[in-house]
Amino acid sequence: MTTAAAAEPQAARAPITLGRWGTPIGLAIALVVGYLLMVIGAGAQGQEQFINALTIGGIYALIALGYTMVYGIIELINFAHGDVFMVGSFVSWWLLTTMGFSGPINDPVVLTVVLVIAFVVSMGVMGVVGVVIERLAYRPLRNAPRLAPLITAIGVSFILQNIIFVGISNSIVPSPQIIPNPLLTIGPIEIRLINLFVIVLAVALMVALHLFISRTSLGRAMRSTAIDREAAQIMGVNINWTIAMTFFIGSALAGAAGVVQGLYFGVTVFNIGFQAGLKAFTAAVLGGIGNTTGAAIGGFVIGFIEVLAAVYGYGRWSEAAVFSTLVLVLIFRPTGILGQQLADRA
Amino acid sequence: MKRTYLAVAGASVAIIVGACSGSSTPSPSGGGGGGGTAVKVGIELPMTGGEAPNGVPTANGVALAIDQIQVPGFTVTINQQDDALNGKHDPNQGAKNLQTLANDSQVLFVVGPYNSNVAQAEIPVSNAAGLMQCSPANTAVGLTKGDAAKALRQTNPDKIAYVRVATTDDNQGAGTADIAYNVASAKKAYVLDDTQTYGKGLADGFTDAYTKFGGTILKRDGVPDSTTDFTSYVTTAKSLTPDVVMYGGVTTSGLGLFRKQMAQQQLATIPFVGGDGIVDGSAATASSFLNIAGDGDMNSYGTVAAIHDIPNPDKFASDYKAKFSSDPGSYSAPAYACTQIFLQALQAVGSGVTDLAQLREAVRAYVADTSHTYDTVLGKVGFDANGDTTQHTISYYQYDSTSKDWKFLKQRDFTAEPVQ
Repeated sequence: MTTAAAAEPQAARAPITLGRWGTPIGLAIALVVGYLLMVIGAGAQGQEQFINALTIGGIYALIALGYTMVYGIIELINFAHGDVFMVGSFVSWWLLTTMGFSGPINDPVVLTVVLVIAFVVSMGVMGVVGVVIERLAYRPLRNAPRLAPLITAIGVSFILQNIIFVGISNSIVPSPQIIPNPLLTIGPIEIRLINLFVIVLAVALMVALHLFISRTSLGRAMRSTAIDREAAQIMGVNINWTIAMTFFIGSALAGAAGVVQGLYFGVTVFNIGFQAGLKAFTAAVLGGIGNTTGAAIGGFVIGFIEVLAAVYGYGRWSEAAVFSTLVLVLIFRPTGILGQQLADRA
Repeated sequence: MKRTYLAVAGASVAIIVGACSGSSTPSPSGGGGGGGTAVKVGIELPMTGGEAPNGVPTANGVALAIDQIQVPGFTVTINQQDDALNGKHDPNQGAKNLQTLANDSQVLFVVGPYNSNVAQAEIPVSNAAGLMQCSPANTAVGLTKGDAAKALRQTNPDKIAYVRVATTDDNQGAGTADIAYNVASAKKAYVLDDTQTYGKGLADGFTDAYTKFGGTILKRDGVPDSTTDFTSYVTTAKSLTPDVVMYGGVTTSGLGLFRKQMAQQQLATIPFVGGDGIVDGSAATASSFLNIAGDGDMNSYGTVAAIHDIPNPDKFASDYKAKFSSDPGSYSAPAYACTQIFLQALQAVGSGVTDLAQLREAVRAYVADTSHTYDTVLGKVGFDANGDTTQHTISYYQYDSTSKDWKFLKQRDFTAEPVQ
């Protein structure tokens, strides 16, 4: 499969390169278009729907990043990733409930401290869980036919779901929403604190990830492993460590999304991993699998499609709309919006 | 070689004949211990996870009836199946369970299911097997009335093997419309449904009756039942400024989450009307609508497709509490009534009969016969030619903040007072 693809001329699959300002300009245009669509559909509530879309898009983007990083480096669709997000939301629920919180915390200092603890713990725990899963379930199958780790991933997904189902709860678990909910007015924009928090956090984590991959030596190691594993190994990159760190970071981001789930929706259930994972995977493919900027953009696109479907009265069709978009993009641009970044096997 | 082959063939034939003869015909002396013929009533309800507040009290109603009522010549036990093994009711699982019950020759009657889309999957199975089902809670119209119902009875179109003691969603929808227009005094409504059989049917029933009362429907939205992010719909509600929001669906389709998100956007002052899908326990019951909706509980209304003013409410409640240490659920009494109907039918047709297949058909025919009426905990109940109950009463409930539970408002008999 890969050799046939590599035989085609590489120029046909080149990622979009618009120079240094390409991405920001493209993003700005996309945001303006999105905003206009919201205002046309929802009138006075257009701004609020726009913010709803950005928020849910941010959550999908955080999960999509994990999918795309793992696929980029070992070409595995980690079906267990959605459930890593779900377990992350339960870790955060357990932590906040054990610390004794059940409602909004009004003291900003206490709130910040608690949030930092919640994020650090959830992200750390889920990162470790991701590394353990990789070590036990995927590494032994690294040289096996591609179907084997795929099926293993589905198995891990079921294991995670059932651990929560049997061990914690098989129904909806209310999660403490510790961020208070005032409506803030920033210039012409009216936004709730929780929405602002989610959007800023998602963007900050994405920027941090981008800087990490492009500026640090571990990031360079990840990129080189993704491009050519054997050459990277010859150049002295520790492949096992690099792949483990990729899983750690991807799972930590899913853990962050899990904390956000609890804070934003106030509930968590053992089966949210499947749906969220499916949509995040769609986002990753939409943006160009293996491409972290693409995954981020894909996440926001999926969020917008969902909210636009509801705004224009096609709520019944929102899931169909999301997956139809995926199908259309893959037909007309098979490598995703920003193009794939995969191993060069030529 | 040839002799060995013949010996093996002969032995296999002997084994097969031996196995076949012993199975279906019960011995004339009946089930042991002097209790009479052993028969079972099947329960097919959602018992796990988010559905437990619905299914468990209902199943308890059946168990209470078996405990309290004896039929001479028969020992009745329960064969319990669960269609919510993954935490949410599943039509495929329901159909499988009904097949399991049908294959158990001792099962003469099934109480269940709870959800209308599960019933859609089960009616063809019970129809083919000739096994009578009595649902305590299904309300979708197309299960018994019209061409949709006929299509479900493919194998034996003229045999009724499904009856229900809950009335239908044309009445329940009218009940929710009555609440919205007359109790909550709302003239403009925003209507949503969860795109499932029950939810969509209920919302349709609401729309019909509400427009007849004189109200306006501002918008109608369908929301996939796996949705957790309702923010876009809540924002739509904000822009429409309705006097009431009506949502046809069940708690496991996310109605509690929707109301919670309404409260987060400061919209809890807008009354919220749902059907029996949200009247599933107090705010203390895990996974109930009230528990999930939290701050959104205020101004919430619901209905139950059953009569509230049963003839002896205190006796039923105290008997139930003595056995199960908790209060009865909304559908405990209807499930008790279904079991009473079975036991009364068994008493009428069962004397002297020991052949299980014959008993099953006799029970089915007796219950399907519209001339029979039954004395049940709900009062006098009969069935019409479609299998629908003759009691067309809907009970209205409102959230009460002192008891943090649903409080009964009133009930309306839609035969006596239909919507014009």
